[in-house]
Amino acid sequence: MRPDSKSSFATLLPALIVGALICMAMAAAIGARPLELVQTIWMGAWGTADAAINTLTKMTPLLLTGLAVALAYRAGLLNVGCEGQLTVGALAGATVAIKCAFLPSFLLLPLSLISGALIGGIWAWPAVVLRRWRMVHEVISTLLLNYLAINLCAYLVSGPLGDGSAMGRTPAIAPGAEMPAILHSGSLYLTAAPIFALLLCFAASFWLCRTIWGFEARSVGSNPEAAFNAGISASIWQTRIFMMSGALAGLAGALEVTAVHHRFYRAFSPGYGFDGLTAAFLANGSPEWLWLSALFLASLRSADKWLQIGLNISPNYIWVIQAVLLLCVACRQRIGNGFWRILNRLRTNSALNEHLEG
Amino acid sequence: MMPSFELITLTLLKATPLLLAAFGGLICELSGLINFALEGMMLCGAFAAILGAWATGSPWLGLLFGIIAGICASAVHATASLKLGANQIVSSIAVNLLAAGLTGLLLNQIFGVYGTSPTVAKLPEMNALLHRNMPSPDGTFEGISILVPIAFALACGVMACLRWTVAGLRLKACGESPEAAAAAGLSVFRIRFLAACAGGALAGMGGAYLSIGDLSQFVENMTQGRGYLAIAAVILGRWRPAGVFSAVLFFGFCDAASEWLSVRWTAMPAQLFLGLPYAACFTVLAFYSGKRRPPSALGRVE
Repeated sequence: MRPDSKSSFATLLPALIVGALICMAMAAAIGARPLELVQTIWMGAWGTADAAINTLTKMTPLLLTGLAVALAYRAGLLNVGCEGQLTVGALAGATVAIKCAFLPSFLLLPLSLISGALIGGIWAWPAVVLRRWRMVHEVISTLLLNYLAINLCAYLVSGPLGDGSAMGRTPAIAPGAEMPAILHSGSLYLTAAPIFALLLCFAASFWLCRTIWGFEARSVGSNPEAAFNAGISASIWQTRIFMMSGALAGLAGALEVTAVHHRFYRAFSPGYGFDGLTAAFLANGSPEWLWLSALFLASLRSADKWLQIGLNISPNYIWVIQAVLLLCVACRQRIGNGFWRILNRLRTNSALNEHLEG
Repeated sequence: MMPSFELITLTLLKATPLLLAAFGGLICELSGLINFALEGMMLCGAFAAILGAWATGSPWLGLLFGIIAGICASAVHATASLKLGANQIVSSIAVNLLAAGLTGLLLNQIFGVYGTSPTVAKLPEMNALLHRNMPSPDGTFEGISILVPIAFALACGVMACLRWTVAGLRLKACGESPEAAAAAGLSVFRIRFLAACAGGALAGMGGAYLSIGDLSQFVENMTQGRGYLAIAAVILGRWRPAGVFSAVLFFGFCDAASEWLSVRWTAMPAQLFLGLPYAACFTVLAFYSGKRRPPSALGRVE
């Protein structure tokens, strides 16, 4: 499956329709009316100002981890380690924001974000080294690094970096490191983080499609032999892109700390790293469409408890929706072909009928 | 009881689900189909085993349900990647996600609970069958499930099949050179699909061990990355049955050691020990230099 921009939309749309139909059928099978389901998800995600702020807040890490996966995928790598990179990035960001509290705000906040990104990038590095030197598939190494990161950070916050309580968390970060709110609604607030993430996505899209470096990075993924013959080093670009990917996931973690939670705690990420995979593949691996898939996944995420309250369906249903859509999008070439073939047949049949009747 | 003996028994217990899943993954990958979906298959197996044991009252039928669920999950992966042209890794990830979602959803739909299923009868233990007490010192473990020897026997059986039977040869032919296999009159798709189903059955059984062999209930996401460890064992064992077997024993030992140490060495935080199997796996992958060669046609569908 290669990102194929020409026919992608014509195949993506049928795949999404088929996926949505399967999800509806499944919902009907467990006794929820499909329309009611859609309405519940819509109201849960966008029905009130609080819900909308909640959804936009959840969109930020999904955009960044989605971008991380999409970027690596363009260079021919699959980064399944966003979860771990996000966790170490978040802890690094929180630690810097706590230990360097003496710095002024305009230095502290960027420093915290940069250190998160840096640590995230470093955490991704062993995977690409293992791939180059030991031919270990990066999916395995990044998955193992996830578990390592989560356990390591859990140890660090219950020991050396913790606030001393049994909660397994760091102290709250210095107020200067908190991202300022731009929008208030009751106790909830929205920071500039979603806008920042969105800009980063478009910047990445521009970088990939409009610059020489981006072209080199893409060529390594789309046609390694041609890239090699053109003198583009696959190993160097894959290392760079993979570390960039890790840095984006780390940045997502640091942003979560500075903009939302204001501290790091055990089991920090509720699966944002894995959702990044879904976000990236639903958007066909293209950063300029990530906002749409991230928005969709964030809506599902913020509506999940309403499924439980309103319809008495387990919140796990949103994973089923994601998985079905992901499967359909992965199979979109065949589904799309079949869809258009059936459509063409119907069209010729109706034309034939009209012809016969006329 | 001697601590070393205890550690060995614990190793066998910890290795059992990994062994079943890893050999399932091995069969699948030798036929040329990438299988990172073991996690999802195990989870389906674990849930269906509980469901079967609860619905029929017999843990043996529960085991059968678990195996069938593993096959179903595997069939989804195989259909998507062999028939519908999906990227095999993406399809694996989707199956893992689907399993995590569906098991949680059905847990609520069928049992009306969140998180943990009600307790059901578990498979008999060895001491009940042998009519004598197996060692169970200081309650670290209650007994050895009947599934442990079955798992090791099955693994040996798979090894023998791959080595000495025609079916094993055909399977490997599909993974090494599908063109040659097709030229010899074999249906590559059918063999790969059957291999995936067999792999799914083993992985489902591994999951069933977790829910009705080890515990007697289902806990959401109870596989906790064991499926990924199993596939890491396949890579570490260089796609050779004996290698995979040793890799699984190694991971089982690390897992056992981490539990054993965290109970005895309370001065150290438990999280460090929890990370031990993954750290050991990563270290061995990084420093073990061997000729590591996957089946030539792995991940390739013509």
